[in-house]
Amino acid sequence: MAAPTINEGAAVHHKPFFLWRHLNKLRWLTLIIVFAMLVLLPFLHIYQTYTAAHAYDLLSPGEKQLYDVMESIAAPFVSDPAEDLDAVKGNTWSGSFWGFKISDPLAALGQVAASLSLYWPFLLTALVPVLATIIFGRFFCGWICPATFIYELNSNFASWLRWAGIRVGNRRFDKRIKYGVLALGLILSAVSGSVLAGVVYPPAIIGREIYYTIAQGGLGAGTIFFLGTLLFDILVARRGFCRYLCPGGALYALLGRYRLVRIRRIAETCNDCAKCNVVCEFDLDPLRDGFGQECNNCTACIAICPTDALTFTIRPSDYPEQGPGHLGQLYRKQQATEDTDAAS
Amino acid sequence: MERRTFLQALVASAVAAAAPSTAALAASRSSLRYLRPPGALQEQEFLEHCIHCGQCGEICPNRCINYFGMENGLGSIDTPYIIPREQGCILCMKCGEVCPTDAITEIERDFEAILSGVDMGHARVDESLCLSFQGKTCGVCYRACPLPDVAIYVGRLEQPHVTDECVGCGLCERSCIQLPQAIRVFPTRA
Repeated sequence: MAAPTINEGAAVHHKPFFLWRHLNKLRWLTLIIVFAMLVLLPFLHIYQTYTAAHAYDLLSPGEKQLYDVMESIAAPFVSDPAEDLDAVKGNTWSGSFWGFKISDPLAALGQVAASLSLYWPFLLTALVPVLATIIFGRFFCGWICPATFIYELNSNFASWLRWAGIRVGNRRFDKRIKYGVLALGLILSAVSGSVLAGVVYPPAIIGREIYYTIAQGGLGAGTIFFLGTLLFDILVARRGFCRYLCPGGALYALLGRYRLVRIRRIAETCNDCAKCNVVCEFDLDPLRDGFGQECNNCTACIAICPTDALTFTIRPSDYPEQGPGHLGQLYRKQQATEDTDAAS
Repeated sequence: MERRTFLQALVASAVAAAAPSTAALAASRSSLRYLRPPGALQEQEFLEHCIHCGQCGEICPNRCINYFGMENGLGSIDTPYIIPREQGCILCMKCGEVCPTDAITEIERDFEAILSGVDMGHARVDESLCLSFQGKTCGVCYRACPLPDVAIYVGRLEQPHVTDECVGCGLCERSCIQLPQAIRVFPTRA
C-alpha cells in the first residue's frame, strides 16, 4: 500500500506514512533473527550429524539434551532431518536456501581479485544483494549484518558508560579511509591469490566464529580481531569500524550511491532539534539533508524525530539543503528579518 | 588537500609494506599432512576460488572437515581440511553441492563419478607396521573402504593392497587399529 504522503508533490500535509517510524523496531527484529539463525544453524548441523549416525543411544547426557531441543525445533518442519535440514546452510557471507545460493558482493569482488578471472556461476550469487543495494543503498549494514547487531549494542553500552561518567572515545576520521581498506583488501587478495578481503570483514568473521565455537569446538583468530574492533568503537570512535574501516561497508556505500529509496527531511515540520544527528550511528547530517552514500536506511532518525519530519522518498539523489526547519527559531528569525526588509 | 595526500601516501606505503610479506605468508606451508575435501580444485586454484564461507563443514554429516587458523599460512586461513586419522570422508559429496564458488567441484554421488572425479590423496600401507603383514589377520582397512575390491583388495591373511583407483577418502587410515596407523593417505595436492 503506497502512502500518499511520500509523494513529494503532495505538499498539502507533510505527515509521513505512520508505519515508517516503527521500521526501526522491525530492523531490530531482523537483526535478531539473522543473529539467532547464525547461532541456531550450527546446532542444527550437530543434530543432523547425530541423526545421520543413528547415534542417540551413544550420546552423552548433554548431547542428548541438545538432540532433544533441536528435534523439538526442527520436527514441525522436516521429516528426515539428516537430509532436509541441508536446505538452509551458511551465513551472511555466503549461504544457500533450498539450493538458491546468495553471497556477499565483497565475497564476489574478493574472489575476482584473488583469481583475476570472472567465474560467473559464483558471481551471479551476488546479483540479488547487488540489485537490492542499488535500490536500498547500504541497507545490509543496518538491517542484516550480524556484526551491526553487536556493534549497536556496543554503542548503547558505550552510552551507558558515558552516563556513568566513564569517558568513551568520540573521535572523527575521514570516512573515505574505508575505501582505502577495501582497495587494500582487494590488492592483498590479488597478491596472495587467496580471498583475504573477508579476513577483516566483521560479518564474515562473526558467521565463521559462531560456527567454529559451536560446532568445531573453539574460537578462531577472527574473534580477537572482532573484540579489537569493539574496543576501538568504545575507546576511539563510536561505530568507528563501520564508519571508517569496514571494506564491505565501503563496497555497499559505493553500490548504493545512487540508491532510489532514501530518507529525506521535511523542512516544513522540522524544528531543528538535531535528535536525528545525535542518534545517527554513521555520523550523518539528517538535520541539514546530508545523508549521502553512507546512509544505511536504518530509520533510527525517523523513529526518534519528535515532529515526524523525516520520511522516505524515491529519488536517485539527496534533497539539496533545505535550510532551517520551519518550526525552529532560526527559521522564524529569518522570516522576521525578511518581513522587516520587505516592510522597509 | 594535505590530508588527502597524506592518506594516499599512507595507503600506498601500507600496500608496499604488506604486499611482499603477504605473498610470503600466503605461500608458507606447514608440514601438516591434510586433505582437501573431495572434488577440491588443485591447491593454488582452490585458494583462489575458496571464499572461506564454511558451508562445506556445516553440511558435512561426518564432521570430518576442519578449518585452518594461521598455522598453514595466511592464504589458507579459514579454508577446509581433513585429517584422515581424526575423521575420514564418507564421500557423501554434499560439500561440493553446497560450495558456492566450486572451489569444491560438484560431483554426483555415484560410483563412476566418484572414481573419476575425486582425487584427495592415495593410501599407502606400511608393511612393517601392518598386522596382516605380521601374520595377524586383520583386514579392518579393507572393510572400512567405501570402494572395496576397487581401491583396495586383500591377499593372503587379509594383507591389504591399494590400487591406483584409491580416491584418498581416509576411512582406512581412520579405522586402522595399529598405533601408529599402518595405512596412511598422502594428499595428491600439487
